Amino acid sequence: MAGKGRMPFIVLVAVFLLGLTAACGSVASGGGGAGASGRAGAAPAALTLRESGSTLLYPLMQSWAAAYHTQVPGVTVSTAATGSSKGIAYASAGAADIGTSDAYLSSGDLVKNPALLNIPLVISAQVIDYNVPGIGPGTHLNLDGEVLAQIYQGTITTWDDQAIVKLNPHVRLPPTAIVPVHRSDGSGDTFLFTSYLSTQDPAWNAAIGYGTSVAWPPLASGIAEQGNKNVEKKCAATVGCVAYVGISYLNQSIGDNLGYAALANAAGQSELPSATTINASVASFVSSTPPNETISMVDGPAADGYPIVNYEYAIVSTRQPDAARARAIRAFLTWVITTGNSANYLQPVRFEPLPPAVVTLAGEQIARIG
Amino acid sequence: MARRSLTATTPARLRLLAAALVLLSLAWGALGGWTVSQHASAASDVVHTEQPLTLAAQQMYESVSDADVTATTMFLSGPEPPLAPLQQYRGDIAKAAADLTTLKAAATGNQPLTAALSAFSAGLPAYTGYVAQAQTEYALGYPLTGGSFMQVASEEAHVVLLPAAKTIYTLQDAALTAASNQATALPPLIAAVVLAVITGFVLYAAQRWLTRRTHRIFNWGLLTASAALVISVGWLAVTFSVARSDLVHGIGAGSSPAGTLAQASIDVQQIRGDEILNLISRSGSTSFKQNFESVRDQIGPGPGTLLTVAASSSTADAVDRVAAASTDATAWYATNDHVYNLDLASAYADETRLVIGTGPGSSAPGFTQLESDIRGAISDDLGTFQSSATAGANAFGPLEAVVIAAALLMAGGCALGIGRRLREYQ
Repeated sequence: MAGKGRMPFIVLVAVFLLGLTAACGSVASGGGGAGASGRAGAAPAALTLRESGSTLLYPLMQSWAAAYHTQVPGVTVSTAATGSSKGIAYASAGAADIGTSDAYLSSGDLVKNPALLNIPLVISAQVIDYNVPGIGPGTHLNLDGEVLAQIYQGTITTWDDQAIVKLNPHVRLPPTAIVPVHRSDGSGDTFLFTSYLSTQDPAWNAAIGYGTSVAWPPLASGIAEQGNKNVEKKCAATVGCVAYVGISYLNQSIGDNLGYAALANAAGQSELPSATTINASVASFVSSTPPNETISMVDGPAADGYPIVNYEYAIVSTRQPDAARARAIRAFLTWVITTGNSANYLQPVRFEPLPPAVVTLAGEQIARIG
Repeated sequence: MARRSLTATTPARLRLLAAALVLLSLAWGALGGWTVSQHASAASDVVHTEQPLTLAAQQMYESVSDADVTATTMFLSGPEPPLAPLQQYRGDIAKAAADLTTLKAAATGNQPLTAALSAFSAGLPAYTGYVAQAQTEYALGYPLTGGSFMQVASEEAHVVLLPAAKTIYTLQDAALTAASNQATALPPLIAAVVLAVITGFVLYAAQRWLTRRTHRIFNWGLLTASAALVISVGWLAVTFSVARSDLVHGIGAGSSPAGTLAQASIDVQQIRGDEILNLISRSGSTSFKQNFESVRDQIGPGPGTLLTVAASSSTADAVDRVAAASTDATAWYATNDHVYNLDLASAYADETRLVIGTGPGSSAPGFTQLESDIRGAISDDLGTFQSSATAGANAFGPLEAVVIAAALLMAGGCALGIGRRLREYQ
């Protein structure tokens, strides 16, 4: 137990030093990869790193890019919200230096291009928004996978349905018709949401299943929208709506007077998406995370954990065209998982920092970029 | 002066002739015996060492490939794996480990081979660890986490184990080809035959000279040497032609098409593994579909494809099985097309039934039938190789001893035959 207690401290110190070096962008040139700007006094060549991918990560990536350029003026990170699939494809083809994705690489992509790495950058979660008259942001409905599955299958059609009432005995629910909103495009968010439904409701799993896109039951009341932003806006404009969106849109949802649910986890406990519950959920997976950090954390074993959590990944090739670019990518990603994981960057979008052990694994992966 | 003294008198000429004939006889014995020994040893290596090692490397690849397909199928069938596939998976891993031990024991100083064997050794426990973790997570009620571990396991198989196994197989196959080439190489045989012709010519010239010089029609010693030479050269020529023919047939109609079919079998397993993994990952990526279409074109049937090339060089029994495999492959590809169309439509329930169902038209029985056809053809081809190559290796029999004994007899005959003439001058 003593050893167990000491380890995180050592890791934290190492991570701090790593981050400090990267943030300074100064002296450690060469193979280590922490310093992007070369030796003090030297005139480093200006370099632009091309990032492309996840729309969910895009706002945070912009803020990281701006801050990094301030700290390391020789490196500019250009960002593009093209979607996770294109992010992976661009990184694989060398059209982007860094792809970003809400999901880890599929085996097909990896077998096709074994040089690709998926490196966690930050922890994200998914939120269930709703627009129910009389229930504002201050009140949180309890929902579980079974009820949500029945809503999306059209067997629960109004907010005062007995199944919802049973989960929320102290809330006065209106007889408003439910309008389920889902993504029209293939997305990591749909994968996460339907994964949650599949683990909590065997009937959903047997009939629909999970995936980046699924065969949504055709409902007269159902609405399909492209991208998190449009889903959130549509929900805000539609009375009776329920929708799934990335946590980085939660502030916007609250601003639009949408409520968000406490979700039942595998232990049957209803939890809100807070720093504590998200980190508790991720913590239960840390020790079993494989070296390539491919892991699904939906509906995990933590009794006090929020059930829909995931890593946001950087997709990078280990084979870069030249040493300077490889060094710059290593330095930027190292900065992201250390300095870039601090609260001033993450809190505005409600992402959570990576646990130290995951940072260590990510650092080992980053070191393979050459 | 010295040269003149060596050939100035008849006794001197006789001594020189005797020495030359004895030396030529012994040289024939040495070169002929060495050639026989080299070819017999190479032929024996082909049959008893290189082919079994190549087969072990091939089996190791197939075992990992089959283990991957079995493990993913098992995972898809539920949290409690059925006994039969579980045993098959464990059997595959045990076979791969046993073949690895065999190959490691035989590997000597070949750096790329040693490196590939080390990579495989390190990857195998990592792979089984991920599979075990996947099954544990599923059994504990976390199918998605289990699914991600299943992906990691499969990636370990495809990115580490199978490439390492392929390198090992390629290097082993190169060693088999080298041994086969040595066993069927003509230059040493030609050199031995040329030496035999020269020796025969010198023997003939010596007898003709002695006949004219001594007015005796026969020199029994030289005649015996000539007969021994003719018999040993004839024996060697017949043996080589039989052995070479058997070995070339064994390789061309046996091990070569078997290797081609083994690649087809591996590709079939890859298609099967991909469709299952695609169903587990449901990433929306079309990589698996693209891989399927590309690998399908390699397997065939069709001009230049693995099945068609194998059929063109296999023996009759194997050809029938390859023909059956070609028919089954075409039907199975149609099922796979249907599977990927269902995936594209996100009809996962139907897709799952089609992938792991056992009814007619499902992928699993189609895959099993195709695999059975290909394995049957491989078995036929390996049988052809084994019988032909063994016959080729055994054809050498006592030839080495015959050549050496003949050479000694020739040397003795020459010494005795010319010795008698020499004694007549004393």
